[in-house]
Amino acid sequence: MDKVVRYHTINRRSFLKKGALSGALMISFPVWKCLAARDPEALLASDPAALSILDKEDLRKLLEVCLSRGGEFAEIYFERTVSNSISLDEEKISAATRGLDMGVGFRVLQGEKTGYAFSDDLDLAKLKEAAETAALIASGQTTEKPKNFTPLSPPQYYQVKVSPDTIASKAKADLLIKANAVARVFDKRITQVGVSFSDISKKIMIANSEGLYVEDTQTLSRLGVNCAALEGSNRSMGYESKAGTYGFEHFDLSLAEDFGRKAAEMAIRMLPAEDAPAGEFPVVIAAGFGGIFFHEAIGHSLEADGIRKKTSCFHDKLGQPIASEVVTLADDGTYKGAWGAVNVDDEGSTGQNTILIDKGICSAFLQDRLNAKLMKMKQTGNGRRQSYQHYPIPRMTNTYLHPGESLPEDIVKSVDTGLYIAKIGGGNVQPTTGRFVFSVTEGYLIEAGKVTRPLKGIMLMGSGQEVLKNITMVGNDLLVIGGGSCGKDGQSKPVGFGNPTLKVAKITVGGKKA
Amino acid sequence: MDYRKIGEDIVKKAIKGGADEAEAVIEHIKEFNVSVRKGDVETLKKSVSKGLGLRVFINKQLGFSYTSDLSPESLEETVKKTVELARITEAKPWQGLPDFGPQPLAELALHDPELATVSDEKKIGIAREVERIALAQDKRITNSEGGFFSDAERIAGLFNSKGISYTLQETRCSFGAYVIAGEGDNMQGGGWSSSKRYFKELEPVEQVAKTAAQRAVEMLGARPVETKKVPVVFDRYAAPAFWMGVLSALNGDAAFRKTTFMSDMLKKQVASPLVTIHDDPTRPRFVASGPFDGEGNVTRKNTILEKGVLKMFFYDSQTARKAGVKVNTIARRGGYKSGPSAGFICVIVENGEEDPASLLKDLKEGLLVTSMRGTGTDVTTGAFSVGCSGFWILDGAKAFPVDGVTLGGTTLDLLKNIDKLANDLDLRGSLNSPSFRVTEITVGGKKT
Repeated sequence: MDKVVRYHTINRRSFLKKGALSGALMISFPVWKCLAARDPEALLASDPAALSILDKEDLRKLLEVCLSRGGEFAEIYFERTVSNSISLDEEKISAATRGLDMGVGFRVLQGEKTGYAFSDDLDLAKLKEAAETAALIASGQTTEKPKNFTPLSPPQYYQVKVSPDTIASKAKADLLIKANAVARVFDKRITQVGVSFSDISKKIMIANSEGLYVEDTQTLSRLGVNCAALEGSNRSMGYESKAGTYGFEHFDLSLAEDFGRKAAEMAIRMLPAEDAPAGEFPVVIAAGFGGIFFHEAIGHSLEADGIRKKTSCFHDKLGQPIASEVVTLADDGTYKGAWGAVNVDDEGSTGQNTILIDKGICSAFLQDRLNAKLMKMKQTGNGRRQSYQHYPIPRMTNTYLHPGESLPEDIVKSVDTGLYIAKIGGGNVQPTTGRFVFSVTEGYLIEAGKVTRPLKGIMLMGSGQEVLKNITMVGNDLLVIGGGSCGKDGQSKPVGFGNPTLKVAKITVGGKKA
Repeated sequence: MDYRKIGEDIVKKAIKGGADEAEAVIEHIKEFNVSVRKGDVETLKKSVSKGLGLRVFINKQLGFSYTSDLSPESLEETVKKTVELARITEAKPWQGLPDFGPQPLAELALHDPELATVSDEKKIGIAREVERIALAQDKRITNSEGGFFSDAERIAGLFNSKGISYTLQETRCSFGAYVIAGEGDNMQGGGWSSSKRYFKELEPVEQVAKTAAQRAVEMLGARPVETKKVPVVFDRYAAPAFWMGVLSALNGDAAFRKTTFMSDMLKKQVASPLVTIHDDPTRPRFVASGPFDGEGNVTRKNTILEKGVLKMFFYDSQTARKAGVKVNTIARRGGYKSGPSAGFICVIVENGEEDPASLLKDLKEGLLVTSMRGTGTDVTTGAFSVGCSGFWILDGAKAFPVDGVTLGGTTLDLLKNIDKLANDLDLRGSLNSPSFRVTEITVGGKKT
């Protein structure tokens, strides 16, 4: 069922990866451009206008087929995604790739049931066949008719002036060459440099039996630099990246230069890393990467599917204190240019800024259409799917902790012996128990209120119920970052996250030194 | 569709379009997925999908593209784009197709013709039944994430300009359940599944259901322990995650670049002499077997570790050429959307001689790990650190369930300190291991 079955247990939920640890680029998220089978030329154009080619009368007929067995709700999801990537390795532009994903998904809902089928063949007969298959979730006579379409024009949260799909590879290659050159000369202990630029242009069209019709073009761009350093038997990695719903205008040579240097700096800083300690310690998490901490510690546990089925340990906590008063947590699909921003989610609900925890009180869940309806709550724009091959499920967009009042330096000073976490590689959570882990890729010891020696092999483990109550200080320096990919139920999706510098009074650290 | 024709044609077109060498992979997958929760069908998904990936080399420059649209117009465009992409990249002398050409393929019997005759109702019935039995196992089972059944029939083809033209038809089916025990702040989930090539070979529904239920119930009341160093036993179902981390450090290109802690370890003793590991994708009917790899080499049995001595790194033909080593290459491929890369296909850590009970019997105090949250190994530094759950062992027996603890050490120390290896291998997937014991690992937990 999902890829984790390799370990023989059905592992639920989430694996979040970022930066160097993800190895290759994040190139696997699909996107679109709607086109009809009868117009092959449109397949190749990047012009968003091509979206409207699909005949609304055909859509209506297909929705009727979906509802022919008595389904309550039907939806058509078109997607056309172009993915590009170019990478530099061993001082050379070593690979250039391009991919096209295109297809149509049909969803039929009845009560708690979902029927789903898709076709990557756009021939009307094939589409009808898929619609008939999805319809089979219900068994009876038609009760609902599709309503007339009312086109929706969602607000714009992406920051795209220049589509990266239209940029000549030379301009992208220049970024890679620049970053590589800077990183290589930074220090002779830098032995490997890898740089990549990847972009995705995803066009979607959603039409449903309630009369919704919406088109959207999602553009994702990412520049990443990885460095490896070697000195004697000490090895280390460094990385830096910028990723968002950005156009190519957000990337230039001076940024590439900056990233080349920063990735190299990190690798050199981590070369002398010592074994991490084990046990409970106070931990300061730097601005930016701590968002992964919230993503795992609480975000997944507030997704409405687990809440409705009462399989999340937070299912009965709405309106109750679940975190310390300094914690206000948002899931914000409207954060401009962020990696997880959505004009509309993958079922056509507009992006929203939802406060999940308000000064420590659990104030909302992450809702999609199905769960919101069954729970009689409002949709929150969190119905997301990997591609036309998947049905939507509740997912995070950009999850971040609101800034507090403390100065970052005061937060570090308040710790006598503890850890400073600068970068996090990834993590996972089991929402039933709330237990989560995440691995640290750049961490340091704090001694007498000062950040001192670099450490390797840091793993942090805790439970969402406990650890949120142990957050005692929140800084004023919010930073929202992207580039990560979250996995749930076999579906991968880009998510953003962020936080100001924060202090967790105690959390279990898995190191070597007892 | 005649995929062999499409594959061979696009390779020819790529050569005609300017490529020196070309390779196409095609996939066609027919899938069925049903999930049932509390007796009712929750989701039913059926699909057929297909796609093609094209890799070309021009003057040892690489271009790659893929498409889910196999119409003649789209394939024409794919050839043109891929050739353009190759011209953007720079030459590396080792780049190009493998040196080998077509070879005879073994018949591994990976396709179950009967699967297509199993009705949807029967499959839905299995998903319903496995959940029902799991829920009924124990009063403490309170909730369910559901039962499922899924199957897939896949046609895969690999074609290149050196004359390789392989197609493969294979099936896979699986079912399982995930249930929840306990209530409120004391909930534990547990799941189990069975995955086979042949429908008739699936494990009994009752057995899978009982295992799922047991894995949830036995963890009720799990708690952390205080930080200390103790012997740790990895049971056979937790062990594959550990080996996954170790194997990730054996990438030949990473060794060549000296970015893995295993770089200088070839032919050296890296693990206890008890440990022998093979990659063997040649077992007939087995779920992780395959007759050819991601770049068209015939599969065979390779020795990775022999009595603790590292015998090989993983290379595909390009990285082997670059490193100047002559080895049996093993290329993985994630599907038509990516090119080949070095790795393992079906790893078996060979059985030891101990009865699994004897791994615990002489322990005064220790930890039995039944689930790992990650692989633990940092491939760069060799540091080992992971979250896990399992049981605390006192005087040779399970005392109470443990969760929320970490293991910390270095991977090479762990490997060398394996002092017992059980004989309880259960082949279930692409990575298989018996239970084993490590003399001492730091367990990180709470202050008491």
